[in-house]
Amino acid sequence: MHIREAIRIAFESLWAHKLRSFLTLLGIIISICTLVAVVSLVNGVNFYVATKIGRLGLNTFSLSRFSLHEYTDRQAYMAAVKRNPILHMADYEYLKTHAKLPVETAATIFSGFNATGTVKANGQSMDQVSLRGVTPSDISMSTFEVAQGRFLDHFDEEHRTMVAFIGPDLVTHLFPDVNPLGRHLIAGGHRFRIIGVATRQGNVFGNSLDQFILIPISTFRKLNGNQDSIGISFKVANSSLITPAIDEVRLLMRARHHLNYYAKDDFGIIGSSAVMDLWHRLTGSIAAVMVGVSAVFLVVGGIVIMNIMLAAVTERTREVGIRKALGARRRDMLWQFLIESAVLSSMGGLIGIGVAWLFTTVAGHLTPIPFQLPLSAVIVALVISTAVGLFFGIYPAAKAAKLEPIVALRAET
Amino acid sequence: MATPAATPHEFVIRTEDLWKVYAMGAEQVSALRGVNLNIRRNEYVAIMGPSGSGKSTLMNLIGCLDTPTRGQYWLNGQSVGELSDDELAYIRNKEIGFVFQTFNLLPRATAQHNVELPLIYAGVPSAERTERALEALRKVDLVDRRQHKPNELSGGQRQRVAIARALVNHPSLILADEPTGNLDSTTSKEIMGVFDRLWEQGNVIVLVTHEHDIAEYAHRVIHIRDGQIAEDRVTARAAVRT
Ligand SMILES: Nc1ncnc2c1ncn2[C@@H]1O[C@H](COP(=O)(O)OP(=O)(O)OP(=O)(O)O)[C@@H](O)[C@H]1O
Ligand SMILES: [Mg+2]
Repeated sequence: MHIREAIRIAFESLWAHKLRSFLTLLGIIISICTLVAVVSLVNGVNFYVATKIGRLGLNTFSLSRFSLHEYTDRQAYMAAVKRNPILHMADYEYLKTHAKLPVETAATIFSGFNATGTVKANGQSMDQVSLRGVTPSDISMSTFEVAQGRFLDHFDEEHRTMVAFIGPDLVTHLFPDVNPLGRHLIAGGHRFRIIGVATRQGNVFGNSLDQFILIPISTFRKLNGNQDSIGISFKVANSSLITPAIDEVRLLMRARHHLNYYAKDDFGIIGSSAVMDLWHRLTGSIAAVMVGVSAVFLVVGGIVIMNIMLAAVTERTREVGIRKALGARRRDMLWQFLIESAVLSSMGGLIGIGVAWLFTTVAGHLTPIPFQLPLSAVIVALVISTAVGLFFGIYPAAKAAKLEPIVALRAET
Repeated sequence: MATPAATPHEFVIRTEDLWKVYAMGAEQVSALRGVNLNIRRNEYVAIMGPSGSGKSTLMNLIGCLDTPTRGQYWLNGQSVGELSDDELAYIRNKEIGFVFQTFNLLPRATAQHNVELPLIYAGVPSAERTERALEALRKVDLVDRRQHKPNELSGGQRQRVAIARALVNHPSLILADEPTGNLDSTTSKEIMGVFDRLWEQGNVIVLVTHEHDIAEYAHRVIHIRDGQIAEDRVTARAAVRT
């Protein structure tokens, strides 16, 4: 085969009709661009979510009154409200002593008063701040660390002190130019002394992870009455222990709630894997839709390429005649036009990848999400675009190959 | 000139009752009506005849660009009718150098690349291709124009490029359908000079022409009328040359 000659001809004719080639390729360009951009966006966001949620995630899981399914399905939720008992601090204490596999156990409560409300301090006020009561062990489950001051401790827990550990957004808004340590803030009508500030975590989808106030869970329950269910989180030493630890907690809870063998759980255990699963299902369906869209574009782009290749064959019937008169066989002409079609459409693929790269680079600069083109996506995109060119080039190329030399030579073009 | 006793191998070209019939709707046009033609090695033949008499049709059949409706054709002793498409391509590539009235050069390719085309389809490696293309261009005195595209060359130069292309694969047969048809008389003489030299180097040449003075370069002139050979004579030059 005269592949080199065919590739040379392909580039020559692409170059001879630059604008036409570009317009022809728009379908392929858009399609490959969408494909690559979506893959890298989903990849980037997945990576981001995995590092943000995942740090809490990989080696932790939590027990709550409702399961993830009950939280997301209204009917299941209504049934569960009647059936699932409230989780109390006693459950926390029980699990803390009886569950052997978790290395750390923490309790959190965040429903109830001022769950997301207004905070006043230093003559300023701030909305949408979440207030949670937590045990001192909560710090080891979290994705932040102590930036300033200290975290809540057992003394605070025991004495129900009115102290608060705050997210860095509160410092920026309420104490722009003063040291917040030792100062007071008012949340839910109560006054708390600030004892520490967390390190910054940034945004997930425009929601700041840094707008929170943590107070001792004992203080929270004293101020709010005792009726709210708590959440209990567990940390294990390594990810292989998650499943056994979940089983252990589950058995302990079922025994504690006297559930028989066939009864469904009347509580929910949400591993980070469950959250990531939900997330992957979500991004997966977005990706599926976009892949579908780009497949449609790809077919449209392929048909446009077929059309332009048919035009090229007609336009160059004389050339085909000349080449055949000089000894080109059918398969030489077949390959020439097939390669031209494949080169044309892989150029479209390359341009599409370039545009997607631009797009993700810009997106990477505008958001904290580390977008990047996965090499595999680039290779797959190139292979797909070349394959489309080959496929849609078959008919025009076969048409060129079948031309009789004398008929082609006589063609008026 | 036909020598009935000769075996087919003595002839480069040998045809037997060659017919070409074109179906034009209900009507049938017989471009050739039983042509018997024998051409030996190292002959220099001119084909003449009125317009529409079937000269080009005959040349295309001889050049394996077209297939006869009826009749037999042997090229170098091989029956062409039995050959496959690929084998015909091989013969066009190796055995035949075709020169057209309208040059038929690739407009976007340089002179050198145009000359290299038959070598590409012969699978000759690139370095050897260049060498042989330059050698062929040298034979037509166009080495200095090798990087020119056809539209940067004069008509005579284009035809010389086309001749170089016909020569490059050392064919046994050079066919030219009105090679000087688009050229003025000075340039025509120049081109005929090239054919003369080629014949001297041992090529078989068959050319179609309308002009008597061009035909006189050949050693044998065949007249065609209504798709049949009407006259087959030796020219004055043949006596001098052979
Ligand atoms: N493809 C075709 N379809 C139908 N008829 C054809 C075709 N090619 C040639 N003919 C007819 O065959 C006859 C011979 O044509 P041909 O081209 O061989 O003539 P010619 O001798 O080369 O003429 P000229 O000197 O004008 O080139 C003409 O009557 C022509 O109309
Ligand atoms: Mg003619």
